[in-house]
Amino acid sequence: MVTVDTAVAPTSRTPGREAGGSSPGRVLAWACLIAIIAITLFPFYWMLRTALSNGTTLATAGTSWLPVDFTWGAFKRVLGLATVEEAQAEGGSGAAVDFWLYLRNSVLVAALITAGQVFFGALAAYAFARMRWPGRDVVFFVLLTALMVPPIFTQLPNFLLMRDLGILNTYAALVLPFFFMTPFAVFFLRQFFLGISPEIEEAARLDGAGHVRTFFRIIVPMSWGPITTLALLQYVQAWNEYFWPLLVGSERGVRTLTVALGVFRSQTPQGNPDWPGLMAATLIAAIPVLLLFIAFGRKIVDSIGFSGIK
Amino acid sequence: MDTRTRPLAAFLAALAVAAVPACTSERPPAESGGWGDTGEVTYWMWDSSQLPGYQQCAADFEARNPDIDIAIEQVRWDDYWGRLLTAFVANSAPDVFVDHTSKYGDYTSRGLIEPLDDLIARDGPDMSQFVEGTGDLWIGDDGKRYGLPKDFDAVGIFYNARMARDAGVTPEQMQNLTWNPQDGGTFEDLLARLTVDRNGVRGDEPGFDKNAVATYGLGMPPNLGAGSGQTQWSMFTGSLGWSHTDRPLWGTRFNYDDPRFQDTIRWWRSLIEKGYTPPLELAVGGQLSQLLQAGRAALVTDGSWNISTYASLGGIELATAPTPIGPRGSRSSMTNSLADSIASASPNKGAAWKWVRYLASPDCQSVVAHAGVVVPAVASVVSTAEAAIGEHGLDITPFTRNLREGTAFPYPATQHAADVDSIMKTAMERVMAGSADVSSLTAANEEVNALFTQG
Amino acid sequence: MTTTAVPAAGAPASGAHAVAPHARGSRETWVALGFIVPTVFGFVVFYFWPSLRGFGLSFTDYKFFSDTSFVGLANYQRLLTDETFWNAMAVTVWYVVLNIGFQTVLAVLLAVLLHRLTRSVVTRGLVLMPYLVANVVVALLWFWMLDAQIGIVNQVLSWFGTGPVSFFGDEAWAIPTIAFVNTWRHLGYTALLIFAGLVMIPKMLYEAGKVDGASEWQMFWRITMPLLRPVLAMVLVITVVGSFQVFDTVAVTTGGGPADATRVIQYYIFDLAFQRLDYGYASAVSVVLLVILSVIAFVQLRLMRANESDLS
Repeated sequence: MVTVDTAVAPTSRTPGREAGGSSPGRVLAWACLIAIIAITLFPFYWMLRTALSNGTTLATAGTSWLPVDFTWGAFKRVLGLATVEEAQAEGGSGAAVDFWLYLRNSVLVAALITAGQVFFGALAAYAFARMRWPGRDVVFFVLLTALMVPPIFTQLPNFLLMRDLGILNTYAALVLPFFFMTPFAVFFLRQFFLGISPEIEEAARLDGAGHVRTFFRIIVPMSWGPITTLALLQYVQAWNEYFWPLLVGSERGVRTLTVALGVFRSQTPQGNPDWPGLMAATLIAAIPVLLLFIAFGRKIVDSIGFSGIK
Repeated sequence: MDTRTRPLAAFLAALAVAAVPACTSERPPAESGGWGDTGEVTYWMWDSSQLPGYQQCAADFEARNPDIDIAIEQVRWDDYWGRLLTAFVANSAPDVFVDHTSKYGDYTSRGLIEPLDDLIARDGPDMSQFVEGTGDLWIGDDGKRYGLPKDFDAVGIFYNARMARDAGVTPEQMQNLTWNPQDGGTFEDLLARLTVDRNGVRGDEPGFDKNAVATYGLGMPPNLGAGSGQTQWSMFTGSLGWSHTDRPLWGTRFNYDDPRFQDTIRWWRSLIEKGYTPPLELAVGGQLSQLLQAGRAALVTDGSWNISTYASLGGIELATAPTPIGPRGSRSSMTNSLADSIASASPNKGAAWKWVRYLASPDCQSVVAHAGVVVPAVASVVSTAEAAIGEHGLDITPFTRNLREGTAFPYPATQHAADVDSIMKTAMERVMAGSADVSSLTAANEEVNALFTQG
Repeated sequence: MTTTAVPAAGAPASGAHAVAPHARGSRETWVALGFIVPTVFGFVVFYFWPSLRGFGLSFTDYKFFSDTSFVGLANYQRLLTDETFWNAMAVTVWYVVLNIGFQTVLAVLLAVLLHRLTRSVVTRGLVLMPYLVANVVVALLWFWMLDAQIGIVNQVLSWFGTGPVSFFGDEAWAIPTIAFVNTWRHLGYTALLIFAGLVMIPKMLYEAGKVDGASEWQMFWRITMPLLRPVLAMVLVITVVGSFQVFDTVAVTTGGGPADATRVIQYYIFDLAFQRLDYGYASAVSVVLLVILSVIAFVQLRLMRANESDLS
């Protein structure tokens, strides 16, 4: 008989097993956690403070903890609401930012890439983790070496391929090299699938299910936690891709947000970035992904674990 | 074949197959180029602050040439050359692009850009309309012209005018600084005067604590200038009559072993020991304009192409001054010029040439001049630009006077520029950080010269 | 060990397995192949083929658009005496040791804290936030905050009386600082991966441990760590390989300086290929890096017996 046990109640902070922990130990643990969170979050405060500052006077009070010459100008620049004069008056470059278009492109491209990587990755991970076939471990290791391939090997040939296929400056070119496989997804899910006890599959097999049905009906629902985690992490990674979308997707219609926000970085040799604009852009660009996390965060927290076989 | 050698054989076969496309993936660019007269011309540039000016030029050009469409793409400097190279390999390079003296040698030796001599002979422009020397910077080592100059720049001094006043330095003194490699001349006296430690003691007063400096007289640039030292030290070595290579352009023997160069670097490093400029390790990452604005530096040497950045700094009063006068009685400034080059693989070279000619014409360059960001290369428009730039708050004439007075020397364009810079960057950083003696630059010089003898 | 040739892209699609009267093993092979077809397709087209081409180029003196000739092992010989290469390897190894050591220990600690102290989604979201910021922006931000002359961190340090630390400028501090910056960004990410592994450990084991009177510390070493092994092995392989390939942070901050103190291997490769246009040699260096990483990953996987799990 198989028992499935939810590992945690949704909003409990201190599950029962914590009771009885030593007090100084717990205080120390909390101190550690708070210290880590403080160091993690301080730069975000600095980003916000800089985003609300005026770029032309920023360095006069570079170490002031409050915004320098408080202004919403940076956020207006990022959202494409500032005129060229307003932008240049505060140290921005004045190039147009079609924010909503680029946001849509980023969301679409990242979603496509993630969908492909997670789906195909899960299939492959299952084959490597729970099926037996000749050459399995060798092929897995070979696939893994894709992690180590230097970008200079892949950028030029892949660019040539996109050009030869005639799909430069299309969503296809942005998505294809990443869509079918990323070694990380395969590796990640394989390790989790390895941790699933084989009795579950044997039970399913006894009930007459083939591999395909076992995979979709049993394994996937069981691994929803890791799968969602993977999807979120790959989404963030696809969202932050810069050089490939720059190469194949610089045309306005398919430009992603990360590429478009390069307008806030330095444009000339040894030039200054538009600090407030860059910080505002980073904060705003992080919001969609943050929303995604909030939506799916529960799933990652409430991962369904297995207590084993009764 | 048994199972063990089969994968090996397959691998070797794959290798052979892979090598073939590697060798034949590129067609010589000139083969795919054409002389189309109409259609779209793509134009790449990196300086976003000049974009409005050039967009205006494009609009004017399209009005006069309705069958040509100019598509401008602004690409950041950091991404520019990587994307350009990838585009060349993929045969999707822009038809026209803004080119740089330190880069075009790599393109001419590979036949990637179009020589313009025949075109100039046929259609003009008259090369004498450009500021003297700018056109020559774009004659390659094969003697052919590869670009029409669009602007020129020089180097000079930006300084905090309020700090200078507080130190009792008059603007007239600033305009007539002297320098020599032994004691630094009045330039070093000025730096000492402007340096203030945390207790308010100036660098030339007793009790100055060089380990607790609040404001440095000279801002140390994070980038030491690699091989050229364009804004960092070339104005000093130039005033001694030293030149980087055996010929002004396309030299093949460098002179970093010359005592004039090494004495200058020794003097520059001595400023650190005296406390007038920060040690190199403090300077990494600092942008000169931010240092000035934060009050950590009183004076910096920089190029005229950055004048609009300095002019837009708020909360600070800046002024400009020319480079110091050397022991031979004249000052010195390196000058450089950007130009537009045409890609040999472009199918629309006829249209591209029309655009390039327009870019180099007084009409377009006066539009650029009015924007007040750079000084165009057409001589007749220079004063318009100087006035427009002056309106933004800083006077550019201390920079441009070098061209009028004949004290300018060209940027040393050479082949293997990137390799030279790589060697010199490391060598200079070691010297300025104190981990190597100035004489180590002689060894670096040999390494650099070996690049040219190995051919 | 038997080897099977990697299926070509034209292998049968999943689900097309015939109902064969053969042993189940053969059918399982077909199904497995079907499962991995898209992954293998992506691998071959976008990773393997370009790598093969790069490998071929490493035996030439390819410099873009100039006469290319086959030079055999000349590039590899040059590599053996190239001081910049060996310096780059040393710098990179030092960086990896610092980065991975620091990051892994902290990540395990953080994951355990998140697992045992508080289950709030908010905390989890907070620690992941640095990962949401692009690598380049993180580097720029810390470059500014840690600036020796106008940075906020040095200002705070001056409150405590210590002098300005040249985080990026001092040759001894540069690599540790870059390691710190990357750890800051990836800590939450790594911790989340490990956390996902922690959650898969059955509660029952901890309850049994408590009944036996084991302390938190003992349970950590006897229960948590062993059962975390597959996930930890993966995390280590991924982070070590990724760490060896550090580039963005260096490119945006120190540019390999000061005096080559941060000239990591990937930056050297980039410099060779795109700035000095010495692509043949850059390919050779890349191949060597790839081989080294493969060996390291192989050894790691073997040592940690990452193919097995103590649970099954």
